Amino acid sequence: MLSRSAQGLYWMSRYLERAAHLCRLLELQVEALVDRPASMIHFGWRRIYASQDRRPPFEDDAGLDESDDFTLADAYTLAGDLTFERSNPESIRNCLAAGRENARQMRHCISAEMWTCLNLAWLRVRDLDIEDIWKVSPESFYARTRRDIDTFVGVAEATMYRGEGWRFMQIGRFIERAQRVTTVLLAQLATGKRMPDTDPNAGLETGPETGWVALLRTWQAFDAYRQRYSVEVRPDQALDLLVADPLLPGSLARSLETLVRELAAIGPSPNAGAGAAVERLAGRLCALIRYEWPDHPDRPALLAEARAHCLHLHDLVSAAYIDYDPGEAPVR
Amino acid sequence: MNFDAYDLDAAFHDEMFLPDGMPRAHCRALFDALRRISNDDLTGMQERVTRSFSTEGITFTVYGDDEADERIIPIDCVPRIVSSADWRRIESGLSQRIDALNRFLEDVYGEARIVSDGVIPADLVRGCPQYRIEMRGVHVPHGTWIAVCGTDLVRTHDGFQVLEDNLRVPSGVSYMIANRKVVKRNLRRVYRSCRVREVEHYGSVLRETLCDLAPGGRADPCIVLLTPGVYNSAFYEHMFLAQELGAALVEGRDLLVRDGFVHMRTTEGLRRVDVIYRRIDDDFLDPLVFRPDSLLGVPGLLNAFKLGNVALANAPGTGVADDKSVYACVPDMIRYYLGEEPILANVETHLCRRPEGLEYTLDNLERLVVKRVGGSGGYGMLVGPHATPAERAAYAEQIRADPADFISQPVLALSRAPCLVQGRAEPRHVDLRPFVLRGRETRIVPGAFCRVALRRGSLVVNSSQGGGGKDLWVLED
Repeated sequence: MLSRSAQGLYWMSRYLERAAHLCRLLELQVEALVDRPASMIHFGWRRIYASQDRRPPFEDDAGLDESDDFTLADAYTLAGDLTFERSNPESIRNCLAAGRENARQMRHCISAEMWTCLNLAWLRVRDLDIEDIWKVSPESFYARTRRDIDTFVGVAEATMYRGEGWRFMQIGRFIERAQRVTTVLLAQLATGKRMPDTDPNAGLETGPETGWVALLRTWQAFDAYRQRYSVEVRPDQALDLLVADPLLPGSLARSLETLVRELAAIGPSPNAGAGAAVERLAGRLCALIRYEWPDHPDRPALLAEARAHCLHLHDLVSAAYIDYDPGEAPVR
Repeated sequence: MNFDAYDLDAAFHDEMFLPDGMPRAHCRALFDALRRISNDDLTGMQERVTRSFSTEGITFTVYGDDEADERIIPIDCVPRIVSSADWRRIESGLSQRIDALNRFLEDVYGEARIVSDGVIPADLVRGCPQYRIEMRGVHVPHGTWIAVCGTDLVRTHDGFQVLEDNLRVPSGVSYMIANRKVVKRNLRRVYRSCRVREVEHYGSVLRETLCDLAPGGRADPCIVLLTPGVYNSAFYEHMFLAQELGAALVEGRDLLVRDGFVHMRTTEGLRRVDVIYRRIDDDFLDPLVFRPDSLLGVPGLLNAFKLGNVALANAPGTGVADDKSVYACVPDMIRYYLGEEPILANVETHLCRRPEGLEYTLDNLERLVVKRVGGSGGYGMLVGPHATPAERAAYAEQIRADPADFISQPVLALSRAPCLVQGRAEPRHVDLRPFVLRGRETRIVPGAFCRVALRRGSLVVNSSQGGGGKDLWVLED
């Protein structure tokens, strides 16, 4: 297929995955506003911002007032910043807009059902603002938007031809997911460490304040955790589940396996060097999680390495299939 | 729909009603059906029709300072009907016309006999900014310079007349199909009983036409649609047609020329392209030949075309035949090349480049429509009767400064058709743009993009100027 079309589908998926992910984080966070202690709410915001690699829209961290009075006012500003802020390229609205814009440009490459589904989701969000969703129940907005994206993914699954376009969509989706999982887990481990009442080993600290339950729920893994382990959440086990469990749909291991499979299914790259590099790196990434994770002494370092590989993989895929030098490329 | 207060005006031909207020025979079934629908139901239908355009994203985009604004071309849900007899006349007139226009292009870029025989003055052709000197001596498959033509027709009391030929990158055909799809869904029963001819196969007819042009008659050629990109207001149409054609939708940056052949970048490597249905203007096609600052084009494209390694539809240089001054000569072309009388009349046109035309125009400004020869989209024109004396005086200055840039035509009494306006039936002026395809032979899908001037009394149907669309039904014999 046309390289630019492949690229458009790849980014469409990435942006939608990103939007869905942020929806899940925010859905849980605004739920927490109702009954969680202020310290946990602040922990939640820090984790989200750390995972977005973004600073809250205050002068400095002091803006995040830890008293109860300010928690809700802060939450309104922060949720607005992450959800609708036009100048925030990663806000839910902007991710959805970017995903939908890629779909609009590539709608001849996707099914009509996919386009309609996504366009309706976008039209619903387009004119909203934080004020509109805050009045009643913001979590229902996040839940609805996430469901719209889930529906889109399901409609794609049911209607899209499994050609190259499909593969590039899958690659985009799972590269994004792998990056999000590693980033949020790293943010969780790091934010946990910064909490004043935990020791340096924290991050893997137990207790209701450390947010592991919320994190499991972010990937719809809480029920799975209870089935697999127990009702009491232990951070090391939660981490194992999210990273290495091949049976959990949202786990890193499973995302990477899908990624390797889809990459292998694409035909040979017009840039043979980059094509081979893609294959090697994807294999190494999979092996890292499958074989090294179980007894690795420094798990944050391993996650950071996986994350770096994911970023690099994006560049390699681009070089192999999209931005290759046409002067060297074969004529098919 | 209540027609009791419908304002019939003898000054204009009404598409649905005879002067005595009775529906025309071929409109009877539609009239009866419409009368049985309550105004509320019709308004609901109008809303559904409009909403479906926005749901399906059938939009054109206006880019402002802030965010892209996606708009829809308003569609009026009351169809306009063209009888089979009228359509036969239109069809034969359009075939004749595209035939003559193609011969004209083959001639003016070749021996220019029409000029040496004194039928058309040399300066009219060579002085036209759309005349592409680079195309001299070029031959195209089947003599087809114009593969896709969108001709604007109007109807007055004198019958159908050609208002202009759009021979460069005519647009609007996607609306012919989109309007049909949605209107047919909402008027199921009457649609069936009227026996309306189908238009939705346009894409496959276009594909056949483009295949005819493939270099060396190559079977199953690789066809692409070249778009200026998503910022173009017709982008929806480009995407839609690419899909209908089963063609890749490419931008200039997706193509490159190697060894005289055009290729596109795919995930598997380069793929040779045989036919380019281009929706970008000549100026931007090839920065090596035309505008060097063009980022939309493909360096070396024109050379590949001249070598016969790729087909371009339409060929570069067709603009010389739809220039508004040259337009005035089309009836002469038909007589000259085909030895026939034109089936469809031209609108009386005065060329300001000629002293008598200039004088006539300046003396009668308040009764004329004056247009720039290279203008389009309804921009930069003067509608004499609707302008203030000061506006006319200012415009006259512009004409005097560069007479060759202007033509004038009488204000036409465009026919009117009933539209649903605020829940009531009201007449509005309409025109139609049928699309004529020409490969080895001429093919015309029986339908048109019918444009309607939605503002009361307005004669300007352009979508950029408050115009909308209507579904147009051509009936079976």
